[in-house]
Amino acid sequence: MIEVSHVYKQFGVKIAVSDLSFKAQIGDIIGFVGPNGAGKTTTMRLITGLLKPTEGKVKIFEKNPITERLSILPRLGYLPENNPLPADMTVMEYLTFIAGVKKETQLEKIVQELHIDDVYDKKIEQLSRGYRQRVGLAASLCGKPEILLLDEPTSGLDPIEQDVIKDLIQKLAKRRIVIFSTHILSEIEDIATRVLIINRGSLLFDGPKPKGKGSVETLFKKLIKKS
Amino acid sequence: MKHLYKKELLHYLNSPVGYSVPIVFALFLGYLFIKDVFVVGSASLKPFFSVAPWLLFILVPAISMKSISEEKQSNTIEVLMTLPLSERTIVLAKLLSLSTITAITLGLTLSIPIVLGFISNLSIPEIMVGYIGLMLLSLLYLSFSLYISSRVASQIASFSLSVVFLFLITALSSDFLANILPKMVQDILILGSPLLHLENFTKGVIDLRSLSYFLFLIILFFELTVKELQKRT
Repeated sequence: MIEVSHVYKQFGVKIAVSDLSFKAQIGDIIGFVGPNGAGKTTTMRLITGLLKPTEGKVKIFEKNPITERLSILPRLGYLPENNPLPADMTVMEYLTFIAGVKKETQLEKIVQELHIDDVYDKKIEQLSRGYRQRVGLAASLCGKPEILLLDEPTSGLDPIEQDVIKDLIQKLAKRRIVIFSTHILSEIEDIATRVLIINRGSLLFDGPKPKGKGSVETLFKKLIKKS
Repeated sequence: MKHLYKKELLHYLNSPVGYSVPIVFALFLGYLFIKDVFVVGSASLKPFFSVAPWLLFILVPAISMKSISEEKQSNTIEVLMTLPLSERTIVLAKLLSLSTITAITLGLTLSIPIVLGFISNLSIPEIMVGYIGLMLLSLLYLSFSLYISSRVASQIASFSLSVVFLFLITALSSDFLANILPKMVQDILILGSPLLHLENFTKGVIDLRSLSYFLFLIILFFELTVKELQKRT
């Protein structure tokens, strides 16, 4: 379970996150949406323990992600923004390394599930953006994490690749908490069960995905205008 | 830890710097030695042990400059820091992989005492102790460079800062500083000089004070690097 409680994050004079509170349970597929610079990535980093809240608390399975990181990180998969990967390694070298650290014994299954077997021996620098995203996703899935944090997993992909990644996320969501950030509203409609809308660091909406085509977009525009 | 150690080693061996710098280092030292044998007519390891520290302060930053700073620059540090590895394990794996590269480099120079063995009476234990001293000096330089690499996000800045600092540390006991600085200051600085402590090893003596000096500084910079990775803004 994830519990974010009255979290503030300030960088110098800039407030990146302001009084953010939400909870997430196993089975939630949360679409975290907001304009660029709204505080989505900062929130992801706060949950992973990469950043320390200026105020407030983040708890993952009742534990502090900074001081108790070693008991939390085996249960967490993270795909950072822009999916940074070591360009000079082959997909096999990289995923074998991640699988080794995360004690994943079924790497082959993940590789097949994400359809990266045909680029397995290629260097990461030679891969298309779509394949790079799949490699990043495969890495985040190693160790069978109960929490999956995906920061803009479809960013920069063409519509066909976006659909592939969306299908994968839906498949992966079973028995997990999945939080994915995006600014593509149709993705929320396609994948999420719950929506968090954030702007200028403040949470504007937390609730089940509104029903009906275009309803997320309508809600989003209304809330952003208001804020 | 073994997975990160293997990955780091592979990372160096995949890059031109990883294999070219050690080879150039070994060839250059070999050349200096052969030059002494054939031109000067002396067959001794003294020139090797006196030149090696001055080359190490360039070799070590060259191989360690990207260790952490590249991870910061490319943001792969986010992936690394969200793997179930402690900061201490991360730094140790990086230091061990760099030490392996350095040990291989120093191993390549073993051809020098082997050649020397054919033409003169060598004291093998003395040479081994000398090499232990060089390895300790390398570990000190490595842990220092790794610390610098953890403080900056640019490889060039990491290399430059390490070279400048290591040069200053190495030069503490050099003759040219003796002419510039007052005698009292020079006497104090000389106590902290790694060259002075290396000298004991190159004479074939394992001096506990020198061993403690190296171990203390290696652990100090190692722990400072760990602290740097543990920092959360």
